[in-house]
Amino acid sequence: MRRLAVTFVLFSLMVISTTSCTGVRQINQLAIVAAVGLDLGEKPGTIRLSAQIIRPADARGQTGAPSGGTGQPIYSVSAEGKTIFEAIRNLGRFTSRRVYWAHNFLIVMHEDYARKGINDMVDFFTRNHELRMSTWVAVTPNRPDEVIATITGLEVVPGEAVDRLFSNNHIVGQAPASNMMNLEETHLNATTQSLLARLQLVPRGISNKKPEEHGSIKQVELAGSAAFHDDKMVGWLTTKETRGVLFFLERLDNGIEVVSCPEGDEKISLEFHNARLKVEPFYRQSKPQFNITLKTDADIVESGCNSTLTGKKHEITQKLEQQLKQRVESAVDKAKQYHTDILKLGEIFHNKYPQEWRTLGPRWDTIFSELEPTIQVKASIKSTVVKVMGTKVK
Amino acid sequence: MLPPLPAGIARIIAVIIAVSLPGYTNSGGEIGVMTGVAADTRQIAEENAKIAAEVQEMLKQPLKQMLKDNRADIDHIMGSSVDFQKRDFMLCGSADRPGICCYVDGLVDTVIVESILKALIVFGGELHHEPDKLPSAEDIRARLMINASVKPCLKLGEGITAVMSGDTLVLIEGFDEGILVSTKGWKDRGVEEPASENNVRGPRDGFSESIRTNTAHVRRRIRDPQLRIDGMVIGTRSKTDINIAYIADLVKIGLVDEVKQRLGRIKIDAILESGYVEEMIEDAPFSPFNTIQSTERPDKVASALLEGRVAIFIDNTPVVLVVPSFFWQFIQAPDDYYHRYWVGTFFRFVRYCAFMISLVLPSIYVMLVSFHHEMIPTSLALTIASGREVVPFPVLLEALLMEFAFELMREAGLRMPKPIGQAVSIVGSLIIGQAAVQAGLVSPFMVIVVAITGISSFAIPSYSSSLALRIFRFPLLIASGLFGLLGFATVFFALLLHALSIRSFGESYLAPASPFSRTAQRDMVLRLPMWMMDYRPEFAQDSVRSGEHLMPEPDKGNGNGKGNGKDGSQ
Repeated sequence: MRRLAVTFVLFSLMVISTTSCTGVRQINQLAIVAAVGLDLGEKPGTIRLSAQIIRPADARGQTGAPSGGTGQPIYSVSAEGKTIFEAIRNLGRFTSRRVYWAHNFLIVMHEDYARKGINDMVDFFTRNHELRMSTWVAVTPNRPDEVIATITGLEVVPGEAVDRLFSNNHIVGQAPASNMMNLEETHLNATTQSLLARLQLVPRGISNKKPEEHGSIKQVELAGSAAFHDDKMVGWLTTKETRGVLFFLERLDNGIEVVSCPEGDEKISLEFHNARLKVEPFYRQSKPQFNITLKTDADIVESGCNSTLTGKKHEITQKLEQQLKQRVESAVDKAKQYHTDILKLGEIFHNKYPQEWRTLGPRWDTIFSELEPTIQVKASIKSTVVKVMGTKVK
Repeated sequence: MLPPLPAGIARIIAVIIAVSLPGYTNSGGEIGVMTGVAADTRQIAEENAKIAAEVQEMLKQPLKQMLKDNRADIDHIMGSSVDFQKRDFMLCGSADRPGICCYVDGLVDTVIVESILKALIVFGGELHHEPDKLPSAEDIRARLMINASVKPCLKLGEGITAVMSGDTLVLIEGFDEGILVSTKGWKDRGVEEPASENNVRGPRDGFSESIRTNTAHVRRRIRDPQLRIDGMVIGTRSKTDINIAYIADLVKIGLVDEVKQRLGRIKIDAILESGYVEEMIEDAPFSPFNTIQSTERPDKVASALLEGRVAIFIDNTPVVLVVPSFFWQFIQAPDDYYHRYWVGTFFRFVRYCAFMISLVLPSIYVMLVSFHHEMIPTSLALTIASGREVVPFPVLLEALLMEFAFELMREAGLRMPKPIGQAVSIVGSLIIGQAAVQAGLVSPFMVIVVAITGISSFAIPSYSSSLALRIFRFPLLIASGLFGLLGFATVFFALLLHALSIRSFGESYLAPASPFSRTAQRDMVLRLPMWMMDYRPEFAQDSVRSGEHLMPEPDKGNGNGKGNGKDGSQ
């Protein structure tokens, strides 16, 4: 019995030692990817994949130890292949470390790539266990490798900067916070179509050394969105249209609208908050109908008007309502124009009328483009902020 | 004096030597010399054994009537030890009644010995003039001796043992009975603050080496006649005094008998420290967990007795054993009860955290860094990666090296002569903290992890159980370095199952967490206010500890407190 036990222990020790730490990968032996760009390759039928890899030694100041760094926090490389996975494997030809994807912040696709179809990309990035579903996904009209390699100045790692852009997106409210999870959800849905954020490079950065050359540094801007039909991109949405869509998709509840003064051409800025969009589906005469109501509160946050606002509340409210209605309308119109239900109206109808949906579902694209939803906006100005007007005011 | 090697280890060493030195036994020329020496030593040993057997026989005999015979016996037994003193005297100054006073110099208070002699020689002469008026030893005890503790002694062995423990044996011509006078009085260390268990608020006295002083510490705290202290002697040569203290009407039923039975089993030549006893009566002899609490604090012992437990005092050591004991006790400190309960609960929480940190932090770090990088938040991952950029070792090796260096520093600091102790900490902190990082041998993060782990293990009040945790840290570390989360979970659960399976004198080691006891939770993770802790542990005979409605509250206005309003006010 004792002999058996000793044999067992010795045997298991030997077995353990033969594993020689299977799967062990030191964190400093990894090439941590912060952002990925996807583009069409030079040869037809190929994909160009560019990855932004963090160089930890330069991305983080190190205490004491000498770091023979280049001073560049990232190392950007690109590789081509017939599929995404082949391109990734080809990356390994010139990256000395194992490419590690779990900390990826961003996947950015070129417009052309997106227009050719993203089935492949959605499948790969959801199938691989190392990749996260919370990775942001965006489309760009610029070169994706340029977008991911652009250093913003505030964050050390550019991927992190775009990550923050997406996280704080709700303040600006001009692009959807589209991540892999949303994308897959809409991608798998038969009627709802995907809407991805749009990233572009804009010459907005001011050089500290040459301030007179305004806009000499390119910055990444998150504005607008790309609408998809099935797996193919069909067109862009402007920032204003995107805001309209965000009422539907992300329950956007605050933002800024600028309306003109009751008298004159000066502008008033209104901050709306507690906005609630309600979509009510109806089924009348074998036709689906939608009532869209938007209720919101608003504050006046900036007024350039030459006259007092006393008694003008109603007028301003109406202008705001009109403007918000226009936003929602433009979003609906654009979606109809592209024949893509990015507003998730089909889903809402499906939930309320599952029986009717069976007949309508297969034809939803055509039905959607013929919809005439009624849109109502109800705004109320809660605070004008008490402010004494000077005697100069007439 | 070194503790003797256990027989098993000695045998293994012998086998190793025999295997590794084949020429040792076979080299023909040396055999004769070797056997010659061996024969000599064997002969001497045999003779000594014969003498020892004779002495053993002699010790069992009763005392003889003739002083001459007794003196010869004593000389034979004691040999020529220089510290053994025999003082001759004449009872009442009369030449026909000689006597001797036997004691061990250094163990006795000579003032008391002088008082014995004064009584026998001077008072005897003054009061009775004639030794014949004192016909028996009983008379002498009753009518002459002024000492506090005087006993008759019939057997020689009994007398010798008493003399060895500091008493004085008085033998007088014509009596087949001796008189044993308690004259114990040696230099001891005095009462000092416990070295290994400090506190801020609470009594500062600690146990010392003298067993009687130690029991007195506890007796002073519990003036209950039900507090019993039973005596016992263990060790064929050391004849160490062992005292078993308990409160008769609180102690768990059967526990005292169990303790006595386990102690009675011990057959050993000497007990030099309570650790000897602990190892021979514990429930889980193979486990790194210690199932017996050891403490230097009388207040801890007193509170354990009041919970219905048993304390084992051992002579010549300041460490007292308490059974049964539970794992969580080792994380609790007396301060918890002496400070207010908010403070007590908070610091207890801190200590539970320290316990977890000291057990698992290095393992978790190693596991995350070498296997599960996706579990680290990105910016933290970057920071760790940048720190490790120049480190040449894998994380596991780095962690083991640092842990080893830390243990080395701790051990060196402990063994160093006190004046040099500071040098160790300066050199250690400089080398490990600063230079190793600058040289790129270890990452700064690893230094932080090891330092926090080290500090946490010092926050555990019971030093002996923090040692157990230290030992457990290494299998956990190696398993998580080899297999990641899988290895960590496996070893951790093995550990947990092992701890669950242990008992300490019939009580589950992890109680009251498992088996769960609702009332005992008042004093486990939380330390509820004193007025809410009204029950003793379940194994105590009498479980109610305090009265009802002890919470201090303002007088309700009718002078009689609450509840009396109905009938008392009219």
